[in-house]
Amino acid sequence: MAVNVLTRDDHRLQAARHRASIDLSCRGPVLAFCTTALFWLLVGSALALIASIKLHSPYFLTGSSVLTFGRVRMAHLQAVALGWSSLAAMAACLWLMCRLSRVELTYPRMLYVACALWNIATTLAVGGILLGDGTSVEWLDAPVYAQPFFVAGVGLVAGWVAATFRRRQESHVYVTQWYILAAVFWFPWLYTVATLMIFWTPVTGVVQPVINWWFNHNFLGLWLTPIGVGTAYYLIPKILGRPIHSYYLSITGFWALALFYSWAGMHHLIGGPIPAWLATASTVGSMMMFIPVIAVAINHHMTMIGYFHRLKYSPSLRFTVFGAIAYTAVSFQGSIESLKDFSEVTHFTHYTVGHAHLGAYGFVAMIFFGLYYYMIPRLTGREWASSRLIRLHFWCSAIGITLYFTTLSIAGWWQGRMLNNPNVPFANIIAYIQPYLALRSIAGILMTIGHIAFAILFIVNIAGWGRLRTAGPTLFVEPVQQHTPEVATSVPYLRPQSVHLHQ
Amino acid sequence: MDRGMVLFVGALLTFTSSWLGLVLFPFWQLQNQPPYRSEPTDDPYPRPLQGLAWVGMKVYQQSGCMYCHSQQIRSDRFGNWWEEPIGMMRTGGDIKRGWGLRRTVPRDYIYDYPTMLGTMRTGPDLSNVGSRYSALWQHIHTYNPRAFNNWSIMPSFAYLYRKEKIVGSRSEKALPLGREWTVHPGYRWRPSEAEWELILREQGTYILTSYLAETPQPDNLNLATLQGKRQLLEYWLATPEEDWQLVPTPQAEALVAYLLTLRKAEYPLPEAKE
Repeated sequence: MAVNVLTRDDHRLQAARHRASIDLSCRGPVLAFCTTALFWLLVGSALALIASIKLHSPYFLTGSSVLTFGRVRMAHLQAVALGWSSLAAMAACLWLMCRLSRVELTYPRMLYVACALWNIATTLAVGGILLGDGTSVEWLDAPVYAQPFFVAGVGLVAGWVAATFRRRQESHVYVTQWYILAAVFWFPWLYTVATLMIFWTPVTGVVQPVINWWFNHNFLGLWLTPIGVGTAYYLIPKILGRPIHSYYLSITGFWALALFYSWAGMHHLIGGPIPAWLATASTVGSMMMFIPVIAVAINHHMTMIGYFHRLKYSPSLRFTVFGAIAYTAVSFQGSIESLKDFSEVTHFTHYTVGHAHLGAYGFVAMIFFGLYYYMIPRLTGREWASSRLIRLHFWCSAIGITLYFTTLSIAGWWQGRMLNNPNVPFANIIAYIQPYLALRSIAGILMTIGHIAFAILFIVNIAGWGRLRTAGPTLFVEPVQQHTPEVATSVPYLRPQSVHLHQ
Repeated sequence: MDRGMVLFVGALLTFTSSWLGLVLFPFWQLQNQPPYRSEPTDDPYPRPLQGLAWVGMKVYQQSGCMYCHSQQIRSDRFGNWWEEPIGMMRTGGDIKRGWGLRRTVPRDYIYDYPTMLGTMRTGPDLSNVGSRYSALWQHIHTYNPRAFNNWSIMPSFAYLYRKEKIVGSRSEKALPLGREWTVHPGYRWRPSEAEWELILREQGTYILTSYLAETPQPDNLNLATLQGKRQLLEYWLATPEEDWQLVPTPQAEALVAYLLTLRKAEYPLPEAKE
């Protein structure tokens, strides 16, 4: 008996050492992506606030071409979607790929170049838009001269991910790797095709918006969603220290997403000057999305069952689970939104904006926050300086996005109803939505406060001012010792990382 | 087969399916639509943007106008509204609101680049705005939308207009706006009580004289009373500044020229008849 226990501990210690060396190799490149991502999150938040306030107080910061609403809105989208979300997504790809393939990170210089290229691209995009080069092609507002940098940056990351996967030491391919590999394969293709067909050899008339919406929806569906879901698939079992509920369910979810999500974009053109079959095809795709979403939801929920009390302690888990729940919610909502009767009301309204933010923030950003809280200490060897600030970040973000979503959903729904009734004068619609837009600004301020708390924590950590990671992670509250005392006290964070994932 | 290979082939096939279905097929279906002529001798419709209007389209594009203004008219069977006791109705709100005479169809956009169909209607649809307003209206509205609609939340584009000192006589292009709108371009200006007192002390008689001269039936305006002062202030705010004028920059001229060409939803096309 005693011998068995010893060898198991030995094995565990060896695995922990290996993980530590992988984390050490990841440190530079992954932190470069993380730091710049956070920078763009702050820039994006500032732009968002300006745009939001302008929408209910039109005299705010008026009189300058750089800060006019249309430009700030375009710049905001580039800063948060291409800057923050994509850089954080790539950071996730790098670290998770190394960890799950059980290899140390190689070719760091290639990744530094990729990070630099992507940041040059984002700078050109945001700066170019503000100075008057925006293209007014939603999600592809970046000026044409920024586009090659985006493609080169993500191309390098994609190549690196493929190379790392080929060097893998672990024979089992975990579902997170499926998602990451697919995402880095889809996105460069998607971006290249869309920019080529819209900007470099432009297609005629309404085919542009068709390609545009194919890109837009797939940017979320085939780039941010797989990496976000993949990250949750890693973090939840990892933090809980138990395997994912069902392997087959996770694979089913993956293939269903691959097949159906890519068909879902055209309902954004409902009623528009395009062939009707396009919108119908997308409605079918959107309805089929119930399959992968339910698969993921069941899998995550069944993994969490019996462990929900851990949300009290673990910051990473709380953010990640919030994101996972938001994923289910936003996907269900999206499927229903694609139905014609529903869409006839909500199309062209703030309802869609609320939906987009529930996806891009409530789901994607929250999961990446969870990833940061889990990953950064393992890269820097430092713990988070203050659980109070983490709590502030969580509640500001959680309440912020909830308020944001609620106000815009209500405002958008009635805006759409009134737009459909020609007897309602336009002025009444504006008067009706204005207070809701003001509430949305308050939600935005909350989220921004959260981001500032997050940035402070991050800077303190990176600068090495936090305490060393020897005493275990920063938790909201110290866990109540439910089982044997040795479990909770002696190895508080080694234990959750046990062997389940790697069997 | 290696797992990596399964993944690669699977990801390739699923993505290719949507690429073929949602990109290449519509491309093939809609790529080569010619402009329409009802008689062989007629002018074709639509026509490409040219000259100033094209420059104006670029201003529209880089200012992100399409994030609040769509350019598409849905059919008269689109849009639902239900109310007791009638129940569900199809309203065709776009056409009934007077935004266009018919729904727009792919052919209306064959020369558009980029095609700014729009995604949001914080403001009204502009497909056919060229038939609704004059150039002067567009200029004043672009300069400060609240000069017409005090409820408007559209941004002011005062930066597209130049405030300059009048040399000689006022330019013909100058916007005929009261000083209320021109003292601080982009804002609505109103002096405080104290400032107004100061102005009255300096130019009171002049303002009163011109008020009496310009008002056909001047009522008894007593400058000693608060009410009289306020009444004169309203008059004064509506008069243009004496030494300054606001003229459109070339960009503003171009933008308005573009807005005036927007007449996508009136030319009768056979496929738009339903």
